[in-house]
Amino acid sequence: MATDRNRQAMRRILLPLLLTLAGAALLYGGGLRAGPYWQVVALTLAMWIALIQSWSIFSGLTGYVSLGHAVAYGLGAYLMATQFRDYPVWVLIPAGGALAGLFALIVAIPVLRIRGPYFVILTFGLAELVKFALLRLETALGASSRLLFGAPGTTTLLAWMVALAAAATLLRHFVGLSRFGRGLIAIREDETAAETLGVPVTRFKVLAFALSAVIPGMVGAVMALRSTYFEVLQVFSPTISFTIVTMAIIGGSGDARGPVLGALFLVGLSELLRGASPQLYLILLGLCLIAFVLFAPNGLSGLLDRRRK
Amino acid sequence: MLRRQLFGLMAGAAALAGISSPALATDPVRIGYTIARTGLFAAAAPSQEQAYTLWAEQVNAAGGLDVAGEMRPIEFVSYDDESDPAKAAQLYERLITSDNVDLLLAPWGTPHHLNVAGVVERYGFPMVGNTAASVMIREVQPGNIWFPTSAIPDQIGPALAQMLHEAGIQSVAILANVLPYSQENLQFLTPALQAQGIEILMSENYPPDISDMTPLLTQVRAAEPDAVLALTYPADAFLYTGQARELGIAPHLQFLLIGPTIDAFGKAFGPAADGIVTLAHWSPEQEAWPRARPFFDAYVARFDQEPDYLDSALAYMSVEILQQAVAQAGLDHDALRAAIANGTFDTINGEVRFDGVQNAITPTAFVQRQDGRMQLVWPPEIATAPLVTR
Amino acid sequence: MLDTLLSGQLLFAAAVLGALYALIGLGLNLVYGTMRLLNIAHGDFLMLGAYGAFWWFTLTGISPLIALPLIAAGGAGIGLALYALVFRKQLATGLAPAVIEARSLLLFFGVSVVIQNVTALLFSATPRAYRHLDTVYQIGQTAMTGNRIASLLVALAILGGVLVFLNRTLFGLEIKALIQHREAARIVGINVSRVQIVAIALGFGSAAIAGGLLSMTEQVTPFMGFRFTIAAFVVIIMGGLGNILGGIVAGFLLAVIEIYAVTLFSAEARSILIYGAFVAILLISPQGLLGRARR
Repeated sequence: MATDRNRQAMRRILLPLLLTLAGAALLYGGGLRAGPYWQVVALTLAMWIALIQSWSIFSGLTGYVSLGHAVAYGLGAYLMATQFRDYPVWVLIPAGGALAGLFALIVAIPVLRIRGPYFVILTFGLAELVKFALLRLETALGASSRLLFGAPGTTTLLAWMVALAAAATLLRHFVGLSRFGRGLIAIREDETAAETLGVPVTRFKVLAFALSAVIPGMVGAVMALRSTYFEVLQVFSPTISFTIVTMAIIGGSGDARGPVLGALFLVGLSELLRGASPQLYLILLGLCLIAFVLFAPNGLSGLLDRRRK
Repeated sequence: MLRRQLFGLMAGAAALAGISSPALATDPVRIGYTIARTGLFAAAAPSQEQAYTLWAEQVNAAGGLDVAGEMRPIEFVSYDDESDPAKAAQLYERLITSDNVDLLLAPWGTPHHLNVAGVVERYGFPMVGNTAASVMIREVQPGNIWFPTSAIPDQIGPALAQMLHEAGIQSVAILANVLPYSQENLQFLTPALQAQGIEILMSENYPPDISDMTPLLTQVRAAEPDAVLALTYPADAFLYTGQARELGIAPHLQFLLIGPTIDAFGKAFGPAADGIVTLAHWSPEQEAWPRARPFFDAYVARFDQEPDYLDSALAYMSVEILQQAVAQAGLDHDALRAAIANGTFDTINGEVRFDGVQNAITPTAFVQRQDGRMQLVWPPEIATAPLVTR
Repeated sequence: MLDTLLSGQLLFAAAVLGALYALIGLGLNLVYGTMRLLNIAHGDFLMLGAYGAFWWFTLTGISPLIALPLIAAGGAGIGLALYALVFRKQLATGLAPAVIEARSLLLFFGVSVVIQNVTALLFSATPRAYRHLDTVYQIGQTAMTGNRIASLLVALAILGGVLVFLNRTLFGLEIKALIQHREAARIVGINVSRVQIVAIALGFGSAAIAGGLLSMTEQVTPFMGFRFTIAAFVVIIMGGLGNILGGIVAGFLLAVIEIYAVTLFSAEARSILIYGAFVAILLISPQGLLGRARR
């Protein structure tokens, strides 16, 4: 009995913890050793992992597909780009997360009443609304673009991003195991039934939504430092939201492995095909997406499970 | 017989690859760049990449690139930067460190240039820029990047105001996209107009995804300005032109910032595009630049469309400068850097010489479509036709 | 100000824009209503229609308006091929509508990426344009360009035609029945797959026609569709998914916001107003203006 519980604790807590740390060490160490180009590839990979894991805390568990996560990323990036000269980076990164989380918290209560495709398009519309509002603000400030000189180098950014990816992965895993996470899954299965079973549906949804925005806000803040040039239209690009969802589907969002697999697969594919033909890469990407939805709706992690059985 | 067929095949393959036979013996010069083949800027980038393609084909057909006396064929290594400036920087790092290219060409757009500037600086790899235009380029550390453009907002504002003043324009209506290049221009244009005593009857901003301008343009029509200055990007340049025409907005002069120099603009509006003034410092009509007309003709023959008078011309200028510098200095970075920084180059846009990061010769200029031809109308020293006002 | 607001010029602009929004919303709505498919590639079919019109005019010199049936057939053909290859099986498995919605969104996203990039590969991303029917007609105080009049008339004709078809013909009533009472429709013996095929043809065909019309006034690029996909979704969500009439109303409402609200406030606020109105309407009425079509 005791050994059983130990073994279970091992499998559910210690092993994921170790695997995540090992993965992070591999990504960071490998990135450092492989030279400047691959450092940025590692940075990109870590970025997507952090974003998808966070997205999955809300959308993966509750089944509410958010097409608005670019807002969290953009808000973090915007805070960094506008305040970079006045505040130290270690203040701005957590502040970016807090800002994104706060924004999600505020919009969550009205927005989460909406369901299904209405919710998907609503989150998209909301993201566009924020983008254009900030664009207007920037115009009023006379700062339609900004330069960021003196940002930390790639190795530093890589270290932070890998830390964020690891944190997001562990957060996703442990939320999934918790009572909170089981409540969220119950919401996905049947929201009304979950409510009658005593799951505090609204509170859980709102909390998960806000939680899923925090790390993307921090990711945005870090990524703003990567580029010397900042423009609102670029950091709030809907492409970010679409890519998150695509990678999540390809990876499978049943557990914390999916986002890692999805990001690895797509970043790898893009590196492989970039030289050959970018358009071909995107065509293949589109075909992959179609194939996954048709033949492996549970994504790469679902495929792995099927094989094991 | 069989052998002859084989030879024929091989020659055919070589021709297909764009490599003429005498150059086969030597190693190609590998030239790297990234371009926005997908994403936000994908529709704007071909005008630049086609100029590169044309140049490489011309050079290869003429026996190769002159590398300090040795003729070597050109081979491009290019990537899609997905319209992401940070990705462009990453890929330039790849071009330099893992593809080991011999030379670099520039990516499309200001944000990309500014990001790549950091990379070429770090590796001390000289690169001639082209399609970047912002006052921000002056904040780039000089040394390894140069900007042949003269379309820089703090010079455009005063030049435009002066041209309007001399054309007798006393009042204007300004419409500006909220995107950076338009706003930067607006920032310098407004005080310049005031300095010339030109009255600004209205000045309105609009978002990039605007789909109908009728409300704005009814205001413009009611204001009855002498000139309309529309600080557009290509998509809204089409919208403005079509709807201004519908509303019968016919001021003495219409200026559009970006858009009228692209081939599709002329095809969309035909004679209605006549009289529109826009930003560009090159025209094939300028006979003082003997290389200008042949470039235009070759481009039209190759791509069945006109070059973009701004982007294609700048892209071609940048490769001409590089070509002449390489002929003189070879591929060594230090020698090449010195050659570009100190040389005077003969381009389709006349002579070019750099002072710091900027082109010291080409003046800020404007063109006007007249009878379907793009004529330089400002400044007087390079004008090919007088400005026509209604 | 009042003069401007009441002018025929703004009314004409709102009508042209509204008819276009309604038309692109209509196609999306038919496909959603009958099959629960969320076609995020809708704008890309519009783009294909625009290329169709561009090449037709460039190669033959004949008005693309003549070629509209052909362009519509092309759009419908590709739509039907997709249906046969990809969606028929999905729809036949009896999945819950929520699952079909989620999957179709992703499937069409894949389709969209493929269509855009195949087009860019075939025709390059260089913007294309041509000049057609650009005479300006003056009627009273109102000026109208020929191609905008043509767009308006064609769009209105299709909207009217589809409404009559849905409400007055037996087959149209079958489509409506399927949209409103899915299970009941099956039980009373409506041939569901036949209805779906017609809905696909109408939905994708009308998108291609909208593209053909737009190509007369806009530059054509492989990536032009996304904007219209968004517009179409805003329209049908605002009107209530699957609610054909609601979508048409929402299309015109959106144009009214774009033209009149901009006149009242400022052009700079245009996108904020549009998305603000969209978000506000959903928050007030979570099933869209006129509510979701009954199931």
